Formats: sequence, C-alpha cells, structure tokens
Amino acid sequence: MTANSLAEKLKLEVVCCPCPEKEVSGVYIGDLLSWVMGRAKEGDAWLTIMSNINIVAVASLADTAAVILTEGVTVDEKITETAAAKGVNIFTSNKPSYETAVEISELI
Amino acid sequence: MKELSLNILDIAGNSVKAGATRIIIALTETDETLSIVFEDNGCGMTKEQVESVTDPFFTTRTTRNVGLGIPFLKLAAEQTGGSFSIESTPEKDSPGNHGTKTTALFYKNNIDFTPLGDVVSTVTTLIMGSPATDWLFTHTYGEKEVRMDTAEIRGVLGDDVPLDSYEVIEWIRSSLEEEYDSFYK
Repeated sequence: MTANSLAEKLKLEVVCCPCPEKEVSGVYIGDLLSWVMGRAKEGDAWLTIMSNINIVAVASLADTAAVILTEGVTVDEKITETAAAKGVNIFTSNKPSYETAVEISELI
Repeated sequence: MKELSLNILDIAGNSVKAGATRIIIALTETDETLSIVFEDNGCGMTKEQVESVTDPFFTTRTTRNVGLGIPFLKLAAEQTGGSFSIESTPEKDSPGNHGTKTTALFYKNNIDFTPLGDVVSTVTTLIMGSPATDWLFTHTYGEKEVRMDTAEIRGVLGDDVPLDSYEVIEWIRSSLEEEYDSFYK
C-alpha cells in the first residue's frame, strides 16, 4: 500500500506528502530517536509522539515510508517545510500508536 | 540516546575529529541540575557552522547528509527544561587561541531526564581511542569530585608508556570506579 492511500484509508491528516507513492511495508513504534534510527526499517510507517525537527532527519536516514504523529501531536511549520524538502511524508492521527498500528496491520 | 554517557562519547568524538590536543569534559551537579561542558582546542567553527550544527541535516561527513550528535544532545537537554549552547573560535580567525565550548544544562528531576549511564566506560573508551590527546575529565557534586587528567598521568609515567596499553587503561578504569564508589553517598 502506498503512503498516500494509507493516509486516505486511515483518514489521517496529511501534514506533508512529498513522496505519495512510497510503499508502506511495516510499522515501527518508538520515541527514542537514536533507538529508532538504528531499528526502523525501510518502508516502515513510523509511529511516534516526538515532534522535534530531529524526526525528519531520523525518518530520512532510516528511509521510512511515512512518519505518523499519534495522540493528536502536531508539528510546527519549519518541520513541515524541512520534511517537504527532504522527501519525508508526515501524517497525524488523534488515535494512540497501538490503535493506529492495528489499523495499518489490517491494510498491509 | 538511552544514556547521556553515549552523547558524551559522541560529542567528545567531534573534538577529536577537530584535531584537538586537549579536551576537557566537565560534569557539574547540584541537587536539581546537571551541566555538561565540553571544551577543546580543536580547529573551531565559523559563526555559520556553529549555527548549522544544531541542524540535524548538517555534518562534516560526506557519507550521509545528516549528523545527529549535537541535535540529540540539545533535544535531551531541552526536554528537561534545560538549555544548550555552543561557542567557537575558528583557527583561521585566531591561530593562537581557537576551539569550541559546548554546554548542556539538564534539570535532573524532570521526568524526561535521560540517565547519565556508564560514564566510566565512556571516559576510558575516549582515552583508549585517542591516547595522545590530553583528556581532563571532572565530575563534581557539592564537595565530591571525580577527576581524571591524562596529562598528569603522562607526567608520572613518562612519554614511553602509551596510555592505551592494557595496564594503564585498566588502572584508569578501576581508579575512576573507585572514586565513583563514594561519589553519590
């Protein structure tokens, strides 16, 4: 499933989606960025509540399919701009990470 | 990172890469705060470079376009309500007196405070990895102090004994461990 169709199916709010065709093949949940950097796999939807600029760098390094900010977390404009420039998809959800992951699991 | 000691390893590594011959790592604790100060006499950075090092997409490496040591330390400090700063003087502006000073302040009682972790391993690893550098490590908490000065050790051992020899490293490790035994008591 592609990143943009995942966002559509889960009714996620799209913060930015510079690479809509990226294939989502799994899920990684984590908030400790150095940990995520070494463990999230290419193509994962990364579910987190961290909204610091560093998430864009971590997503870019790990080559995740999308960052999904859960629990209603939002990001500021600077992060959106950087993510758009670096090809990092960011979506948000009001649901907790677990519920979001379960929903993704039913789709992929 | 999971432990601040890993951040320390990373940031001190920057000083080594900057060609520093003397690197000071000073940890100062109160009941509420921990400050970590790194001071080196390396090649330093320009004003523009200092501004960009907290940007996670900046690095001196060419293998990838993001460097995360400084951004992670800044995040770790700020998420406790603390602060982070870097001052630097580049060698080309001031050939006689150049280097970088990095300061991170943490509020220890904040729930998001990252534990310090295994500092003894960090310090011994740094000395082992760069034995020709003069390392000064201090950790103070009120009256208590842990101190390791490799220039002092070199003065005692003479220049013929390399600091990364097994015996010296083991002595450094055990002497740090011994000092830490009574540190928080």
